Amino acid sequence: MKVGIVVFPGTNCDRDVFWSVKLLGGEPIYIWHEEEDVRDVDCIILPGGFSYGDYLRPGGLAKFSKIMDKVALFADEGKPVIGICNGFQILCESGLLPGVLMKNENMRFICRDIYVKVEESRCVFTKDIEGKVLKMPIAHKEGNFWCDDETYERMKENGQIVFRYSTSSGEVKDEANPNGSLHNIAGVCNTKGNILGMMPHPERACEKLLGSLDGRKILNFVKEKRWARR
Amino acid sequence: MRFVVLVKLKQGILDPQGKAIKKVIERRGEDRIKDIRVGKYFEIEVEESNKIEAQKIVEKVAKDTLSNPIIETVDIIQ
Repeated sequence: MKVGIVVFPGTNCDRDVFWSVKLLGGEPIYIWHEEEDVRDVDCIILPGGFSYGDYLRPGGLAKFSKIMDKVALFADEGKPVIGICNGFQILCESGLLPGVLMKNENMRFICRDIYVKVEESRCVFTKDIEGKVLKMPIAHKEGNFWCDDETYERMKENGQIVFRYSTSSGEVKDEANPNGSLHNIAGVCNTKGNILGMMPHPERACEKLLGSLDGRKILNFVKEKRWARR
Repeated sequence: MRFVVLVKLKQGILDPQGKAIKKVIERRGEDRIKDIRVGKYFEIEVEESNKIEAQKIVEKVAKDTLSNPIIETVDIIQ
């Protein structure tokens, strides 16, 4: 399928996403953030990086880019949208996903492989891999997911928690939490399940040389001709 | 018309940046600082002579752009 990769000034994972989408049999195209529409893509990915230099707050300025209104309309039609790392931050700032990503508890930029447990959720991208443990890299300074208790309870009830940081055997506990995220949350979706935001980088876990192929389990759907899942 | 906007983390929201600064100050020998929380300070010049109108503009900008209402509060000072 045709995958639109949105590029903001300061985005830097666009080429990695392009590479992986192509590798997995998809047809990637770049969409500049000032473009008028998202063309005829079947899926949109907001890649990681430092849109607008992370000025003000990560994602706090990118949410006002012209293309974001179109991304919201696209998502509203039930079409698939994934935000990775800074893309996740942008989706939260836009209000397309609940919560916010704050500074890591230890104040450090963390760049290393972690494990996440795939939760049972409404997320359309992880239906076939629920219960599995995936190894992927994270690379961020603001990945500390937070929302108030009421929002958390609602998200849990709605099946909006998609990934939690875990041990390699899938135990969700404090020691496996790299950044202080509320209840180890590493990825969430909207109530419909078609918008996914995640801090780990699946596009960096699609080549054996990079140490893990688990990212493929999330991005593999791009090989399908059209988006058919609901 | 000139305004100052202060954006602060809500009470109870962890501020690792403030904690780190406090730690460094402690390390430098000052142990009487109890707490430090980091916020943002904006000086805003508005081209609008009507005071109420100007205030409204700043309020809107402060709420939808300068802060994230989930974790931050806004103070507007004229």
